[in-house]
Amino acid sequence: MNLLFGLSPFLAVGVGALLLMLAEAFGKPNVAPGVETTDAGAGRAGELALGAAVILVIGAVLSVAVWVAGPESLPELTQVAPHLVIDKFTLFFSFTLCVGGALAALLAGGYLPEHGIDRSEFFPLLLLSTVGAMALSAAGDLLTLFVALETMSLGVYSLIGLRRGSPRAAEAALKYFLLGSFAAAIMLFGLALLYGATGHTDLAGIGAAVRSIGSPGSTVSAGKILISLVLVLVGLAFKVSAVPFHQWTPDAYEGAPTPAATYMAVAVKSAAFAVLLRVLLVGFGDERLASWGAGWPPALAVLAVLSMTVANLVAGRQESVKRMLAYSSIAHAGYALVGVVAAMRSPEAVSAVAFYLLAYTVSTAGAFGALILCGSRGAEAVSYEDLAGVGKRHPAAALAFSLFLFSLAGLPPTAGFFGKLYVFRTAIDSGLYTLAILGLVNSVIGAYYYLRVMVYLYMREPAPGAPRAVTMRSGFVATALVAAAIFVLLLGMAPGFTLDMASGAALTAR
Amino acid sequence: MPFLESHLLGVIVAAPFLAALALLFVSPTRPGAIRAISLVGALVSLAGSVHVALGYDLARGGLQRAERYPLVPSLGIDLSLAVDGWSVSLLLLTGVIIVTGVLASWTLTDRPRDFFVLLLVLVAGVFGVFVCQDLFVFFLFYEIAVLPMYLLIGIWGSRGKVPAAGPFAFVWRRFDVGGREYAAMKLTLMLLVGSAAILVVILALYSAAGGSTFDLQALARARFPRELQLWAFPLLWLGFGSLAGVFPFHTWSPDGHAAAPTAVSMLHAGVLMKLGAFGVIRVGMLLLPEGASYWAPTVGGVAVINVLYGAICALTQRDLKYVIAYSSVSHMGVVMLGAATLTVDGWNGAIYQMFAHGMMTGLFFALVGLVYDRAHTRWVPSMGGFARQMPWVASFFVLAGLSSLGLPGLAGFVAEFLVFLGAWQSQHYVWALAGVLGAWVTAVYVLRVGRDIFFGEGPRSDEIHHLTDARRSEWGALWVLGACLVVFGSYPRLILDFIHVATLEYLPRAAGAASALLEASR
Amino acid sequence: MQSWIPVLVYLAIASSVGVVMLGAARVLRVRARHVPPTRAATYECGEEPAGKAWIRFHPRYYLVALVFVLFDVETVFLAPWALATRALGGYAVVEMVVFVAVLLLGWVYAWRKGALRWQ
Repeated sequence: MNLLFGLSPFLAVGVGALLLMLAEAFGKPNVAPGVETTDAGAGRAGELALGAAVILVIGAVLSVAVWVAGPESLPELTQVAPHLVIDKFTLFFSFTLCVGGALAALLAGGYLPEHGIDRSEFFPLLLLSTVGAMALSAAGDLLTLFVALETMSLGVYSLIGLRRGSPRAAEAALKYFLLGSFAAAIMLFGLALLYGATGHTDLAGIGAAVRSIGSPGSTVSAGKILISLVLVLVGLAFKVSAVPFHQWTPDAYEGAPTPAATYMAVAVKSAAFAVLLRVLLVGFGDERLASWGAGWPPALAVLAVLSMTVANLVAGRQESVKRMLAYSSIAHAGYALVGVVAAMRSPEAVSAVAFYLLAYTVSTAGAFGALILCGSRGAEAVSYEDLAGVGKRHPAAALAFSLFLFSLAGLPPTAGFFGKLYVFRTAIDSGLYTLAILGLVNSVIGAYYYLRVMVYLYMREPAPGAPRAVTMRSGFVATALVAAAIFVLLLGMAPGFTLDMASGAALTAR
Repeated sequence: MPFLESHLLGVIVAAPFLAALALLFVSPTRPGAIRAISLVGALVSLAGSVHVALGYDLARGGLQRAERYPLVPSLGIDLSLAVDGWSVSLLLLTGVIIVTGVLASWTLTDRPRDFFVLLLVLVAGVFGVFVCQDLFVFFLFYEIAVLPMYLLIGIWGSRGKVPAAGPFAFVWRRFDVGGREYAAMKLTLMLLVGSAAILVVILALYSAAGGSTFDLQALARARFPRELQLWAFPLLWLGFGSLAGVFPFHTWSPDGHAAAPTAVSMLHAGVLMKLGAFGVIRVGMLLLPEGASYWAPTVGGVAVINVLYGAICALTQRDLKYVIAYSSVSHMGVVMLGAATLTVDGWNGAIYQMFAHGMMTGLFFALVGLVYDRAHTRWVPSMGGFARQMPWVASFFVLAGLSSLGLPGLAGFVAEFLVFLGAWQSQHYVWALAGVLGAWVTAVYVLRVGRDIFFGEGPRSDEIHHLTDARRSEWGALWVLGACLVVFGSYPRLILDFIHVATLEYLPRAAGAASALLEASR
Repeated sequence: MQSWIPVLVYLAIASSVGVVMLGAARVLRVRARHVPPTRAATYECGEEPAGKAWIRFHPRYYLVALVFVLFDVETVFLAPWALATRALGGYAVVEMVVFVAVLLLGWVYAWRKGALRWQ
């Protein structure tokens, strides 16, 4: 029974996904009389969105429940280890993933019907992909890791291409699929090499084998370990979309339906960071690899600086808000990578990254949601010009947008501020002053393009005669925005509880 | 009312914020209610500040009325509030400026609700900075005070164009220099760079002090290593200095002040720039005394540049708001100069200059706003002879101008005199000479601008007969600020006593480090 | 490494079968002076070839193929399980039932959504 309780967040979402799938398949199409459809779930986006959101919220609540009960006090959980490692780290991330998924589901509930994308499989796919993401954050074994990664990715590949008939969406899906499978293959090669070199598939065993290098009697080859480390890093850098493995991101986000882009930006990235942390700290946690002189920290530091700088500079030059948000997500991957680098010395950095990703999840989902609210069918808000005057036409959407942009820019009193603060503080604690200063300078550059959105929202009027985006109203999107806003403000003004939760996550990651 | 008495500082900080919150529930179509609520919020804070000043025990000195509310216990962040003598004087200044600022924007018609919400949030942040005793929350309040500026200038700013001229005219055209969006973006980005530098130092200090508390008193007791102090102080100086208008990071200030609406200019030049200087002294010089005394010659030298460069720039400007804005840069140089002397008189003068310049520049910007409202121009050469239509405005302008150039009997004189005295007592006589030279240039441009606008024959004197003098609520702002200049100029002890108590307590730390440094170098 | 030698030998024999047969046909073939077009045409079990081989297939094929692959792979997974069931005990049976049930759900979904309908 305790085992079931410990696994309940995963089971809830997994079983929920299957039930929702059946519900979609056996439902009665809700279409206008006379319209022929073979799709049993047609016209049911609203109910399915609600169902998906409820399931994911249950998953989030159960994550917190297990967290509070304490996974240490559930000895039965060792039965599933190391395939699934249920610790506070995992639970914190599964909470984040469920929240991100639920927000994306609510956004889709408003977005898909508004834009005539009657693809009700969105919701089962979203849930199944979330199960994969949660399993990824719990993966303590190379096999689970890869299977979970693919479960997560396959769902996302199809989510991107749901807008059929749009060449943009086809391009986006194909691009993401090809590059994604390529990255997965590279990573799989790295994992195979790792298994070959150490004879273990569980990360803890790999970690022990890596530690044994150099001691008498060890047969583990340092060269193979290094090569596999590089390959795994490349594969995961692709998933978190760090520069220079980011090329697909803007195109994929732009072509995908906005809720799918939201899901990619928040959940896929968070899960990839979770597994990155676990692989690096458990598998490659050896002092010789996790040091500033050699191993992964300098490599990741380069990725972090590149991601922040390149993404921020390029984001400022975008004309499409969606692409700007895509580059912003790349920049945020850079900030979080600073925390991952700091994790080599300070265990607290793990919780900093976890907290950062939660803050990033709610802010980004909110920003995409506000963008959805700014446009309607046939007149989706895409460019900055489309946002001109929204401050007057739809003050609530503009206010919410500003709040989330403030959070993304890292300004107090929002979640993003505390996230950045926490990450940079651990960086300074670990003596990484240069990285922290580069990160802060980059946050300022980032503030430019976030504030630019506000210029259009509040200070510009649409040009006379120009086609203007008609703002939409949707209970689903509004609910998602309110929930995200509550999170952003709560984490920004009273972060104590969540910080404590996150710092509990740090200790058990190793 | 024991609750009110024991939580008075919290009330002062919260009152504008609560008023802003209440405004959110008022229909935007009822400007009367909006103004009334804003005024009440501002008045509560002012009354609280006055009460704090009256109740401050001068004989005891030190920090009084301590309040503490835990915020993030796991990181050692508390909302701890307390006042010392400096805070008392700056609280009074902020209270007066916000009340007059609300009065000055009484006639605003474009989205008044949003305007007052942002204005009150901003001022809540300012109050918070002055009474906060926790470094982290200090920074939070600082950001809260700075950020609303972006929207305030961007939405309600004026569209005064700066004519493109000179070899860099293409830059003007490319960036729309003088436009409100340009000004708002420039101001926000420059101040954010400063904030980033401050944040790095705050985190470094927190780490170095053991990583358990942000309390200013505790941090002041922690003796930071010399190397840390030597690199951290300049970062703090430039970080806070970007808000205080330290050369060469002052360039946002003329554009920002010129583009901002009247009340925002008043608050910004009157109070907000002081936050920067206050931060340099309160955080930089008190927490990092060795760094401060090592860098003091640089700080003072740059302050001299500020005083002279600001004054000369003001001399060459033709746009009325730019003249006043550059004069602020020059006068903030006097504040930094006083701080850099590390003497009792210098520090007293620096804080007093914050107070006096706040009142004076508030009055200036209120007047400029009045003139602009009526004449719809800020271009000095196109004005003239306004004194006949608006005698009172002219009188107050002359009063502010005389205080600005340091006429004895007005508040500006006391401050500048103290600063120059301090400079003379320190080893840097040149600073005093340069300061006096700056005051002289100030006299030139202030009197010249006053003459050009209000007296003599203007080129459009036939078109100005429709101009009117100040009306109803506008009187409030002018009289209050004018009276303050005279009262605190002729009886400076009213404020100076508070300042002096705190200076005597704080200076030995910084000056002690200075003398230790001197001995080490001998 | 010793244990891998049979595998290598097996691979070598398997690949050589194809290479040797094709190569022998090329060496031993009868060369004709004139090749009539009918003889050069692709041999399709006596049927006349119609159109090109490079054509677009109906996506239904993919759907059916996907469902087929799903159960094909399931069989691959079932075979080793069947061999080890006795050793694993009753718990393994329950787990396999769950696994097959999930797959069946997927099949039901595909059926309901019309993936198997051919029209």
